Amino acid sequence: MTVRKRLLGVLADAALILYFVFALFPIAWMVILSLKPANQLFSTYFSFTPTLGSYRTVLGDSEGIPFVRFFVNSLVVSVGAVALSLLVGLPAAYASARWRFKGSENLMFTLLSFRFAPELTVIIPLFVLYQKLGLFDTYVGMIWVLQLVTLPLIVWIMRSYFADLTPELEQAALLDGYTRKQAFFKVALPLVKPGVAAVSLLAFIFAWNNFVFPLILTSNEAQTVTVGALSFLGGDRPKYNLTAAAALVSVVPPLLLALTIQRYLVRGLSFGAVKS
Amino acid sequence: MGWRLTLRPYLLIVPALLLTCGILYPFGLGLYYTLFDFSASKPQPDMVRLHNYETVFTQDAFWNSAWVTVLYAVGAAAAETVLGVAVALLLHRSSLVGRVLEKILILPLMIAPVIAAIMWKLMLQPSVGVVNHLLKPVGLGGVQWTDTPAGALLSSIAVDVWVYTPFVAILALAGLRSLPTSPFEAAAVDGAGWWYTFRRLTLPMLWPYVLVAVIFRFMDSLKVFDIIYALTEGGPGDSTVVLQIRAYLEAIRFQRYSFGISYTIVLWAVVYLAAMVLVKHLGRIQRKAAEAK
Amino acid sequence: MDTHAHDRRHFLALTAGAAATPLLAACGAGFGGNDDKGGGSAADDVTGSFDWKREKGGTVKALLNKHPYTDALIADLKSFTAQTGIRVEYDVFPEDNYFDKLTVDLSSGRASYDVFMLGAYMVWQYGPPGWLEDLGPWMRNSSATGDEWDRADFFPNLLQADQWSLKDGAPLGRGGQYALPWGWETNVVAYNTEVFSKLGLRPAESFDELREIAGVIKRKAPGAGYDGMYGIAVRGSRSWATIHPGFMTMYARNGLRDFTVDGGKLKPAMNTPEAVAFTRDWAGMVKQGGPPSWTSYTWYQCSSDLGAKKAGMLFDADTAAYFQAVKGASPASGKIAFHPGPKGPDGSLATNMWIWSLGMNAKSKKKSASWLFLQWATGKEHLRRAAVTGNHIDPVRKSVSQDAAYKDKMRHLPGFIETFETVVDQTKIQFTPQAQFFDATTSWAAALQEIYGGQNARSVLNGLAGDLAAKVD
Repeated sequence: MTVRKRLLGVLADAALILYFVFALFPIAWMVILSLKPANQLFSTYFSFTPTLGSYRTVLGDSEGIPFVRFFVNSLVVSVGAVALSLLVGLPAAYASARWRFKGSENLMFTLLSFRFAPELTVIIPLFVLYQKLGLFDTYVGMIWVLQLVTLPLIVWIMRSYFADLTPELEQAALLDGYTRKQAFFKVALPLVKPGVAAVSLLAFIFAWNNFVFPLILTSNEAQTVTVGALSFLGGDRPKYNLTAAAALVSVVPPLLLALTIQRYLVRGLSFGAVKS
Repeated sequence: MGWRLTLRPYLLIVPALLLTCGILYPFGLGLYYTLFDFSASKPQPDMVRLHNYETVFTQDAFWNSAWVTVLYAVGAAAAETVLGVAVALLLHRSSLVGRVLEKILILPLMIAPVIAAIMWKLMLQPSVGVVNHLLKPVGLGGVQWTDTPAGALLSSIAVDVWVYTPFVAILALAGLRSLPTSPFEAAAVDGAGWWYTFRRLTLPMLWPYVLVAVIFRFMDSLKVFDIIYALTEGGPGDSTVVLQIRAYLEAIRFQRYSFGISYTIVLWAVVYLAAMVLVKHLGRIQRKAAEAK
Repeated sequence: MDTHAHDRRHFLALTAGAAATPLLAACGAGFGGNDDKGGGSAADDVTGSFDWKREKGGTVKALLNKHPYTDALIADLKSFTAQTGIRVEYDVFPEDNYFDKLTVDLSSGRASYDVFMLGAYMVWQYGPPGWLEDLGPWMRNSSATGDEWDRADFFPNLLQADQWSLKDGAPLGRGGQYALPWGWETNVVAYNTEVFSKLGLRPAESFDELREIAGVIKRKAPGAGYDGMYGIAVRGSRSWATIHPGFMTMYARNGLRDFTVDGGKLKPAMNTPEAVAFTRDWAGMVKQGGPPSWTSYTWYQCSSDLGAKKAGMLFDADTAAYFQAVKGASPASGKIAFHPGPKGPDGSLATNMWIWSLGMNAKSKKKSASWLFLQWATGKEHLRRAAVTGNHIDPVRKSVSQDAAYKDKMRHLPGFIETFETVVDQTKIQFTPQAQFFDATTSWAAALQEIYGGQNARSVLNGLAGDLAAKVD
């Protein structure tokens, strides 16, 4: 029995390692690509003369692509988008979880459905609109349009989370003389903190990785890293080494964020899919 | 107090509602565009009412794209669900290996899909790609991954699986961690086997959590674009021209704006309906799960 | 004047929120149509003697595609500013997304960019809606254009390629000048000299020979020390870009046409018996001597395979080979030679080309400054500098192509100058100009993939011709 159990354990670990080989190999390969000199990109696999030249090129703003500025832009618009979504999304999620008011289900569902709307539907009209309103190529414009990505995710998941939270705690607080507002901020919100952290991370990643909106709705001022990373590909030769370096550099902020809230990530997403 | 109480939920929801309206406006505009024949060859468009939709539905190309899209979405969502749940179950065992690997589970999700697809295309290029190079010893060095209709579709799905399996796995793992322990203890006392426990206890209780992930993945892969565009551009032939690729080609590449947007509206309607059915189903099993608790 | 009221009304509708959408119907806002159909060209406002400094202090905004030609341009911008006092702001976008960006921008009817890069094919799409400024009046106005610009110095085929009467099927070289040739690419054969000498091969002079050689390389090169090498790299992805380089060049050399024009009506000609036979042979060549996973091949894959010694030949833009051939660029550097490629049955070296051109936004508010920029960027001085010190390798001007320093620079590449000079007079746009170009060539590429996949060439091409006949009508 114990031998069998141990064997199964080994098998399970082996299966896990197999998946992670699949999951991590492309990233390892990107690291290798980013360290290869351009003339060895396609002629060697694992033996090459490593160089940090690609990173120097990307971060040194050469090749006519101001990558560092794009990086800052990405930070501003992604953080801004998530913050705005939290600001308006948390009260909405709370309200719709605590009060079953008329149309709340439909409203929530419609909100969710935007998450799944094809970007192409809005991109041309939005472009015309942004040009007219002066939102083209601005942080405000990007933060606004990224609500399509971040808001539904935050509202939808946080709503389940609040619903799973028993209302008795807040009621007790109300009896203790707390106002509704205090009950929300002092009782409900701290309890859902892991959820907020986890969902913010996911929203941040999706906002950070968005490609179509910054491609069409920004030019030099508010362009983001995802579009910027691809700019290295063209030119005289396909420079996968530069694209890989740029992509890896742009993984750093979401990665740091993920590491910071690591302990919340899985726990935080154990949101109440099961609500009463 | 009474009116404040009834008004409060609306007040709390107003900012989100306003923001939604801000998002809704361009959608309305997009919908409005589809009633015209706006294109590069007709910059002064005329109202054509529903003519664009008529054209969409009478095109063979549309039905082909719809079919490919469904195949892709079902394939990707199913594969990600199975793999994601499996990975979550394995991680849930909390072996030493699992605890280490869990920390980097989310990594693939952090590479923008459009870049992931480009890197995969490079890795799968038989002439210089690393995948064929590594498979050479087992005699698979000459596989032409994207050269047949089935191969192209499967390869695209594989990239989708690579990017998004962590998303499903994380949500499933979160679900596993929040399951009550008492039923499992009782089953262990009864001497229930692993398969029985999994079928009768784990899966039914876990399903509501997993379903949320499945809904997100299914909806998202119905409107796949980045991955296929970078990997196959819709080829060979029309075999991977999903609806978003068709819409992109029509609206942007061929500059038939109104017509192309009509495609996306139809796609959105499909997604909306699918979401409605799935979310209803989700609500039903959530209630059931709550009762079981 | 009218546009202000238009904007204000639109803004009101907008602030009314989502519910106001139907209001839009009333004012028809939101489309990027060309509503100022005023007669006359802004070029007529430029009078007096020509002066580079006439727009001193101004700014021009440019949309550029990432390209070696662009790098050479950007590197030289300070001399433009020094000469004119005009500042140039620019955005560079990657090639894969450049035209998406430009298309959406132009279709909005806004002048976010005054000048931009485009290809001759794009004139067929952007010209008819009135998005491109006709540069003819600017070129002809001696107050706006300096003598040294010297229009006669351009290769005539190139200047004509951007000139069109905006009517589907009408030949190029007549009508408005909707862009200026700036840099270009001929489609010729580049080959690995090492492999050729080892296998005792000589560059193909006929299409039959080309197919044969491609097959020979694929069969024999791997055994001769070139692991995984195949015969010929050509593009194969489901994109318009697959048709225009090697395929269209060989197609044209066989005397074949994409469309025939009869009484102003276009008729698809990809399914004539001769075209069917050629297409079948092309697909057969790829099957027997082409790259594995051909249907995913864009110029990235083609050129990197040549550089990595995985392809014995490349039938594509000369630039795609050039940047693998230059010293230190790739394992195949120093072993790549150029050849005009196979002749047609009647000895034709008809060659299709890609021209990076520069165009002006018809909605630009800074046309005079923009024209100075275009004039400078296509002028002798900049283009010579770009060719000699930058990587602007296919000169659009005769004077640059004959320049001693340029020739010196290119001489180390075997056959480059000879090939250029052999094909230059027969290189032109081999397609029939028409607004549905991108749709037609994308479907054509899909058809090619199906034939390659084993379907019957005649029925696939008949189907294609049937679809296109309805679309170009």
